[in-house]
Amino acid sequence: MLEIKNLKASINNKQILKGLNILIKPGELHAIMGPNGSGKSTLANVLSGKEGYEVSGELKYQGKDLIKIPIDERAQKGIFLAFQYPTEIPGVNTNNFLKTSLNKIRKARGEKELDTLSFIKMIKEKSNELGMDEKMLSRQLNVGFSGGEKKKNEILQMKILNPNLAILDETDSGLDIDALKTVANGVNSTRNKDKSFLVITHYQRLLNYIKPDYVHVLTDGRIIKSGSMELAEQLEKSGYKGIN
Amino acid sequence: MLNYKPSEKEIDKIGKFSVEEKNFRLENLKNFNSFGFPNKQEEDWKFSDLRDIVSKNFAKLDLKLNFAKDENVEFIKDFEHNYIVLVNGKLTIKNFQYEDSNQILINTYLNKDFSNKKEANPLIYLNHALSANGFNLEVKDNYKFKKILVIYNLFTKDLNENILNSQNRIKLGKNSELHICDYVINKSQKNFFNNVYENLYLETSSILKNISIQKGKSNGFFYKFSKNILLSKSNFSSFIFPLGFKFNKLDLEFNLKGENIECNIQAASFLRKGDHQEIKTRVNHLAPNCKSYQKVKNVIDLEAKGVYQGKIFVKDIAQKTDAYQLSKAILLDEKSEFDAKPELEIYADDVKCSHGSSSGNVEQDSIYYLMTRGLNRKESIQLLINGFLSEIVGSIKNQTIKSFIEKELYRQVYEH
Repeated sequence: MLEIKNLKASINNKQILKGLNILIKPGELHAIMGPNGSGKSTLANVLSGKEGYEVSGELKYQGKDLIKIPIDERAQKGIFLAFQYPTEIPGVNTNNFLKTSLNKIRKARGEKELDTLSFIKMIKEKSNELGMDEKMLSRQLNVGFSGGEKKKNEILQMKILNPNLAILDETDSGLDIDALKTVANGVNSTRNKDKSFLVITHYQRLLNYIKPDYVHVLTDGRIIKSGSMELAEQLEKSGYKGIN
Repeated sequence: MLNYKPSEKEIDKIGKFSVEEKNFRLENLKNFNSFGFPNKQEEDWKFSDLRDIVSKNFAKLDLKLNFAKDENVEFIKDFEHNYIVLVNGKLTIKNFQYEDSNQILINTYLNKDFSNKKEANPLIYLNHALSANGFNLEVKDNYKFKKILVIYNLFTKDLNENILNSQNRIKLGKNSELHICDYVINKSQKNFFNNVYENLYLETSSILKNISIQKGKSNGFFYKFSKNILLSKSNFSSFIFPLGFKFNKLDLEFNLKGENIECNIQAASFLRKGDHQEIKTRVNHLAPNCKSYQKVKNVIDLEAKGVYQGKIFVKDIAQKTDAYQLSKAILLDEKSEFDAKPELEIYADDVKCSHGSSSGNVEQDSIYYLMTRGLNRKESIQLLINGFLSEIVGSIKNQTIKSFIEKELYRQVYEH
């Protein structure tokens, strides 16, 4: 699904990613853990195509080079990023935005655009699964949403857009235990043999609910250790300094 | 380069007047000719040099007194409404089918006040001198309109380097209520100048809600001076959506002369391709316990220019005034310009007045967020612009009118 080889990225002449290697196969869920400033969010940004970075190395998605593909085309090809800090967009109705986004992506996939009725049915179902109040979706996008509501809204978008590769950038931060479980259920319910996930997190907590196939430790722009869930448990006990 | 100095003959072309009126018009003509169109040396015009704008865009400015009467009006079908039609400012059709006609007076405006007012505004002199058209609408005490009144402002296709001067007056009796939609339809592809002088008079406890919108872009050069009086407990609101004139200046003055008045002015504009628009407001709080609220939003692109000059004046006796003023602009290209001059002049000590102004580019983070959801850059910007402007539409309470305005605004943004 995603092949990252010797990935380097810098912004304003400052190198953040210093040669990163990860291979994510279809159906796998990889977790990336790392201290503050290690480059976790940069990785998420680079994968989604955010402008402003100088990127080198190899980045292949479904066997094809991704580096020159713009942000919107990546989304249309099935890459989804759940933001650490979802942007507030005043004046834009959440439902309208979701419908526009979904139809854009369906169209790119060669699928028929969804009419309003089918869309409403879909959104009702998916938001119920996440325990979200539908009324929230008639509000302006992320405006005045609590931290938890914003994160749930990201997972809702993930469920609606049905990506092949979902990148979750610290989706667990700022969530209480109930919201964390809901978000984890949201992820687990979409896992299957074709879908891949890259979950970026600070804490092992989330990984108790979303069982990763692999755990990578990112420090100073490099993966310094990869392993299984036990690695996350070890990190929780001894901290990043205990990893060599 | 046009140096516009109309002569007495222009007044004679309009019609035969009593000696008193003729003298009044002549006096005003003399005053206009001694000033000419205002230029940037004058404080009120520092951001909009009208003399320069007129001289660059017009070789002549003829009065337009005769025009085809059978211009088709594209009536709004989205909601039931009363209507009047103004063709180049002239009242041609009136239809109040949903109302009790005994409660309404509508006729062509006739100025009967020939007292010589010293106005520091040459365009008002010009209007008094050459005014040829306009309407007068009065709503009797306690009468509340059942349906909205649409004022179709039609500009004919034969307008070409013409000047139109008109005067309109709306008076609401005590405890009456009227909702208006001012709808501009422009059929001329050529330049013309429209100079309007308006008076609104709201008696005690009356309600006037006004929405201004235009159908399509216009090559018109519009100036409107609106001098308004609000009496106690009256409630005025105006939502203005001018979506592209070559030049448009709205000069709005509100005099809050009684207690517990509410005055609400909100505007959202999408200016592009060299459009020049100024919204200038002056809200005079002359009595205690009144509220005024102003919010002006502009999206400016392709060398267009937006200006907002807003003044709140609070007289010493106007305690407990609550006045708010905010302007926001998004500039989409480097050659676009936004100028704001917010002013507070307060002589009372127990008041709540605030003002703010901001301008900037579209948030890059917002574009990024939307693009990660599959929208391309242009679609993301359009969605953001529409969102930015439609916040103002969101304050309109009537759902049918709101949807209509949303549709018009959406069309403007997406035809871009």
